[in-house]
Amino acid sequence: MNKVWVIAKHEFLATVTRKAYIFTVVGMPLLFGGIFSISLITGDSVEKSIKSASEPIAVIDRAGVVDFALAATLSEGHNVPQDAAEAIRQVSGAKLPKIVAYPDLDQAIQDIRQGKLSAVYLIEAGYMTTGRIVAYSPERGMFSDLAPPDRNRLYDLIRASLVNGRLEGETRDRVLTPGTLKQMKVSKRGEVQGNSESFQKVARFLGPFSMFLLLTMSIFFSSGYLLQGIAEEKQNRVIELIWSSVEPVQLLAGKIIGLGAAGLLQVAFYAGFLFLPAMTIFALFQVSLFGLILSVVYFALGYLLFAGLMAGTGVLGNSPQESGQLSAFWTLLSIVPMFMLAPISENPDSWLARGLSWFPLTAPVTMLLRVTSGQIPWVDVGISIIVLVISIYFVVRGAAKMFRAAALMYGKRPGLGEIWRWLREA
Amino acid sequence: MLAGASFSQPAIALRGVRKAFRSVVAVQDVSFEVRCGEIFGLLGPNGAGKTTLLRLILDIFRPDSGSLLVMGHHFSPADKALIGYLPEERGLYTKQKVQSVLEYLVQLKGVPQPQARANTLRWLERLEMLDVKDRKVQELSKGNQQKIQFIATVAAEPEILILDEPFSGLDPVNSRVMIQAIQELAAAGRTIVLSTHQMSLVESLCRRVFMIHQGRQVLYGDLEEIRKQHSDNSVIVQSNADYSHCPWVAQAVSNGRGMQISLREGSVPRDLLKWLVEAGADVESFEKTKTPLEDIFIKMVESK
Repeated sequence: MNKVWVIAKHEFLATVTRKAYIFTVVGMPLLFGGIFSISLITGDSVEKSIKSASEPIAVIDRAGVVDFALAATLSEGHNVPQDAAEAIRQVSGAKLPKIVAYPDLDQAIQDIRQGKLSAVYLIEAGYMTTGRIVAYSPERGMFSDLAPPDRNRLYDLIRASLVNGRLEGETRDRVLTPGTLKQMKVSKRGEVQGNSESFQKVARFLGPFSMFLLLTMSIFFSSGYLLQGIAEEKQNRVIELIWSSVEPVQLLAGKIIGLGAAGLLQVAFYAGFLFLPAMTIFALFQVSLFGLILSVVYFALGYLLFAGLMAGTGVLGNSPQESGQLSAFWTLLSIVPMFMLAPISENPDSWLARGLSWFPLTAPVTMLLRVTSGQIPWVDVGISIIVLVISIYFVVRGAAKMFRAAALMYGKRPGLGEIWRWLREA
Repeated sequence: MLAGASFSQPAIALRGVRKAFRSVVAVQDVSFEVRCGEIFGLLGPNGAGKTTLLRLILDIFRPDSGSLLVMGHHFSPADKALIGYLPEERGLYTKQKVQSVLEYLVQLKGVPQPQARANTLRWLERLEMLDVKDRKVQELSKGNQQKIQFIATVAAEPEILILDEPFSGLDPVNSRVMIQAIQELAAAGRTIVLSTHQMSLVESLCRRVFMIHQGRQVLYGDLEEIRKQHSDNSVIVQSNADYSHCPWVAQAVSNGRGMQISLREGSVPRDLLKWLVEAGADVESFEKTKTPLEDIFIKMVESK
């Protein structure tokens, strides 16, 4: 066991100190983050957006429909932002812009150019017949709205102006505010859930789904390092020297542990740097403990399975490139569930989802997906875990046999018949 | 010497070992013993089966038939710690530093890290390579990489050393350093199996040898006995004698050191010496020739 830990420690340290690894884990997020930050700072788009979103809105009322005295009675924006300008104000805490009357369009456009106005709305003379309003707004760089800002506040003002003195009481209130919507969802089982419950369901999905992405990434990162490591050791002939000191199973175990840790570290870094801010929000919506435990179990089983496959495949090639080509088969097969994300998520208990859960190569990814969809029958959990454990046993044994047969074989690659013969031999 | 082992028990014993790959029989019915504490020579032309034999001893390959004993028992995983292996194909982690590579490889033999560190530093100093310990392996010359590989083999202090072409890539100075190191290890009681094409080194270092050709045993045993069995019946003489009338001489050829006299069948060097004395010749030197191992090697290979 001691040799296993020696190998694991060596593999971990050798991998995490590689320049390529450091660049992938640390450098790339910093690089993209840095580029993004520089563009924000030098472009001052954010400052412009926030500032312009607070400047007054000018209205040129050629139809004479607007009562500007009512502008002050409008509500303080909407609880849910209706456009980017409202969203920016809510985030930045900027004040609500005033709606002011302007007599002259040319002067208004001039004031937009000088940043004194956030928008100008020209209500045309024939508005009551045509409904036409022309909007003028400044370009805001990367935060430009497709629609002009605060148009809904203008609509509210026009409605209030039109009904003022013509309607009273509840009728007036209903015209100005037709209703507040409560949404209900009907599931395929006929269950009726409230909007808040549906929203929680989405949040419960997003938390584990993020975890699913991270863990799936980790499976492929780690098993990829294993493949590359074994192929390199075969290429540079170290493998014979190692083999004279340790048993193939010890070597495989050490590599699986060490490189698995390197892959997890990479994913943990991404999680902390990129996902943690988002996950903090999602945590408020309760990622279930059961889902968390199952996710970890399937991650571990998935990694062990693919590590064994990669190790057995990596030893067949004469170079890391060749071994990578050979292993593409396993990678493609394992991500089949990702192409069926929608049907599995919508119908996690379908025969498609269950079948993929019981087939060893697709089981880890499928079960990680199903965990995000809510309750999974215990029988499915049990069967998939048993199938995976048995598969891992045979895969690792097979990898050790492949290692013994092919680690010192250079030149012509063995055919399928020969590989099958090796696997059958004791 | 390993506790429980003794000089009476061979360090390595092969009996009727056979190994085939697909349709090629690499080793056929091979039997020999390597005694504890000796330097044993393993010889053979390219493709003879030497490396296969070594890998069988190391349990990298398993024999199809026959038995292989290490220290008197069948090979077990724990025995990997007993055997240090220097493969013919140089193989190191080229992008890592020398010291860390050495420590790792020594630890794989079951040596704790502090001891591994101390041993590798000692051997780096012994082979005058302490200044490269923090450099990457790929920055070293081939000869220096070979020395590093040698240190990786011996630093774990294994009882048995298997050295496959240890002098490959070494200049004469470094070869001498390596020879001295091997002799010191042998003097300290290590059992050494030396596989090389350099016959002069085998003659100077080994007492017993095994020669393999096309997977089969060709020669085996004490080097002196082998020379006696396969040497020409000849002497080298520096004298002023005229050999044309000597009844014991089959052929006389000048070779720069004197006359190489091939004796007739049935005659012995003493007969010629007696004739020289009776003939009144001035004899400056009279030396029985030993056929170089290389000549024996070539003769055996060509005869098969």
